[in-house]
Amino acid sequence: MEKSFENQMNAFADRALAAAQAAGISPAEATYSLSESFSVRVRAQKLEDYKVSDRFQLTLRGCWHGRIGTAKTQAMDEESLDLLIQGVKESAELIETDEQDEILPPDAHYDAVCNYSDALDAVTAEDKIALAMRIDDRLCAADARITPDDTVVSTAGEVFCLRNTLGLHLSHSSNMIYAYASCLAREGEAASTGFKLLWGYAMEDVSPFDVADGCVKDALDKLGAGRLPSGARRVVIRNNAMADLLSTFSGVFSADNAQKGLSLLAGKEGTAIASPAVTLVDDPLMPWGMGSCPFDREGAATMSKNVIDGGVLRTLLHNRKTAKKAGVQTTGNAAGAGTVAPSNLYIAPGQAPLDDLLARMGDGLLITEVSGLHAGANPISGDFSLLSRGFEIANGQIQRAVEQFTVAGNFFTLLQEIEGVGSDLLFEGSPIGSPSVAVKAMSIAGE
Amino acid sequence: MLSSDLCSRVLSRALRGGGTFAEIFYEDTRSFGMTLRSGKIENAAVSRPRGAGIRIYDGLRSIYVYTCDVTQQGLLRAADRAAAAVTDTRGTGRDVILHEKTFTDMHPVKAPVLGVDAQRRADVLRAADSAARAVSGRITQVSCGLLAREQHVLIANSEGLYTGDTRTYTRLTCAAIASDGAENQTGTDSPGALMGFELFESRVDPEKSGQKAAKTAVTMLDAPYVQAGDMPVVIAGGFGGVIFHEACGHSLEATSVEPGMSEFAGKLGEQIAAPCVTAIDDGTMPNEWGSENIDDEGTPTTRLVLIENGILKNYMIDRLNGLKMGMAPTGSGRRESYAYAPTSRMRNTFIAAGHDDEDEMIRTMGDGLYAAQMGGGSVNPATGEFNFAVQEGYLVKDGRIVSPVRGASLIGRGSEILMRIDRVGREMTMGQGMCGSRSGSVPTNVGQPTIRVSRLTVGGK
Repeated sequence: MEKSFENQMNAFADRALAAAQAAGISPAEATYSLSESFSVRVRAQKLEDYKVSDRFQLTLRGCWHGRIGTAKTQAMDEESLDLLIQGVKESAELIETDEQDEILPPDAHYDAVCNYSDALDAVTAEDKIALAMRIDDRLCAADARITPDDTVVSTAGEVFCLRNTLGLHLSHSSNMIYAYASCLAREGEAASTGFKLLWGYAMEDVSPFDVADGCVKDALDKLGAGRLPSGARRVVIRNNAMADLLSTFSGVFSADNAQKGLSLLAGKEGTAIASPAVTLVDDPLMPWGMGSCPFDREGAATMSKNVIDGGVLRTLLHNRKTAKKAGVQTTGNAAGAGTVAPSNLYIAPGQAPLDDLLARMGDGLLITEVSGLHAGANPISGDFSLLSRGFEIANGQIQRAVEQFTVAGNFFTLLQEIEGVGSDLLFEGSPIGSPSVAVKAMSIAGE
Repeated sequence: MLSSDLCSRVLSRALRGGGTFAEIFYEDTRSFGMTLRSGKIENAAVSRPRGAGIRIYDGLRSIYVYTCDVTQQGLLRAADRAAAAVTDTRGTGRDVILHEKTFTDMHPVKAPVLGVDAQRRADVLRAADSAARAVSGRITQVSCGLLAREQHVLIANSEGLYTGDTRTYTRLTCAAIASDGAENQTGTDSPGALMGFELFESRVDPEKSGQKAAKTAVTMLDAPYVQAGDMPVVIAGGFGGVIFHEACGHSLEATSVEPGMSEFAGKLGEQIAAPCVTAIDDGTMPNEWGSENIDDEGTPTTRLVLIENGILKNYMIDRLNGLKMGMAPTGSGRRESYAYAPTSRMRNTFIAAGHDDEDEMIRTMGDGLYAAQMGGGSVNPATGEFNFAVQEGYLVKDGRIVSPVRGASLIGRGSEILMRIDRVGREMTMGQGMCGSRSGSVPTNVGQPTIRVSRLTVGGK
């Protein structure tokens, strides 16, 4: 991180807080961050894009006439100070909700968690370009049927700070590197695309061989995929696809959504909402977790918890406002603007490798990709109908690739019909992860 | 705004180590968002995104550096960081001289939202909310939002261009939930335009918008699940145009055509759709959601015929892809903000009005699906596979609409569906969306008249 910029930013936050107090906005809180990123894209053995950035963002919250208003800026100048002060006042005057956000002094204790690597910060642009080239070279040499598409190597870092006029002063730094490749496979009339992403905190976490070989395998495995007849099938949903589903429906675990009638899990705490095989964990203190942070957007200390424990819903995710309304303690999941979000959210892995799940299923379908999640899945009703890909399974063995079918169901029903949970927990470039899961039956629409 | 002096200094600095082209895109934006839920204003906040992006062409490759530090020192530092990545050092060093370019504003704005009294802004949401709740006792939740954005942009490049524009966007979003206690269904309506608060005097009635969202939710609550299978599908106009946007539009963007990752690459002049299909991408329509005066590279926007009577006529092309393809840019270079390098994107994209009668389409379709309201969708441009959600669908039996059905999705391939359109209605209408791609999320209109597709795979339970 650029130290001088960080100092400038801290000074601007202090000025904003002082201006707020002078204007009668008290208490006041500034949430701000400086994020830096570097990214290169290679295709056909040429460097196509080279992208570098730094970005500052500050949100001022403050109490004006008994209500909390909010305003934001990316510019550190006088005009922004005016905009922030006027914006907080106008916002506070407009807001009508009874439950109030609060600005509070710091908690007594914050656990430590690390997801920042000094070594990664020292990796040069040349090294990252060389890595992207190595991935692309390997893709080019892989197979006559493969045309490499994009290879991207990217690093990102952020310092996130919270200060308020009641003595709160917190800061957390994080960074990461990821590399992915995509390719096209063709054989006669058949075409398919392949994709592989790896991420971590060191160059060793993103091996060019694993990225390229994974990408090629993904495309070739899917090549010549056939279609499926419609009907109900037993399925295993592979880890990456299940994580995508969980991510799409993660809002149902928000107490904020529940209290607003936007989640069917409202009032279901203490009841069985999933099969006993399902334990769902939200762990902001996971070492090297992408979503790890010792404090949330309200400055509350974060904690690890089981959201679902052996199928029973233990807690929804809370911020201070939703917790107060529900008569419980915050779970440290404040995400800003009164909302709630998970940190590192995942289904706890079981004992069985994917092969065992398939063997136990015998005949059925392995779903490896679900797409169109923003359109074909409704977090309010839980219904989804998604264009999918996968493999037909007979006697526990992959028979053939299949495509152009939709998998339809309901997320809440799906949770109850999970029969087995695999050991292959995966976070694929996201703080929301899952192992593969075996499901009793799902509705397939194909030919 | 940045002076032309400062811009020319930054551009010259960016090119001092080589490179064939340099560009600076600066924006200082005011945006305002307000949400009303459970009958109460829940959030309201103004924000000010500001920053600049510097782009250099190093041969045919793009170097992009963006920063929120827009002081002279910050911009020169960004130019240096970009210049440091240049590998082709031929043509090193030249002074950039800028000439200011102005244009006629095709999309005049009367009342920028931030200048309108705050309570009047809130009243729009209150009107939509009460109208939605009045539709049925089974409406259990209504969320309404007002989004306004005033984006001041300045674009300068090493070819001497120095220009700017202000884009003013206003949009209302309504989402209603109907519940029978055990199940929830949703309905939405989100009209918007490239104009100010006058949107609510000239184009959008908030009450009607709220009612529309609520009616869809209630209708779907009583609907059985659709039976999956292949069948003829009639798709209503307006947001129904999302099918063309997703299944064909993305594959006609230079972003996928240039690298050959589109099923329509190399097919100019060929028949790619049924002869009844003419499709257009038009950035010039006055005050439409996807319109502009100039694109985000400073090129004047255009009206572009993509497909004429089934024949592929044009691709949507940005500057850099134009260089790579040896074709002229079409004013299609767009980006969400300074945090993105621009690329080719859609504007207002629609299937043009045809000659067929809407009632006849359904009367003669036999058994199938009538998609009255489409949800969103997505597509893999390389293979053309698409997936759309049907927000409000009806079962058609023997040429007659018999009942609403829920849970339907439409899947297929772009090239197939285009050839299978066998009816195109007489009145084209449009709907508003935010389209996501490599250069971020940009406002786009989708549109079409009511059309019929002779056979499509309908996914359901």
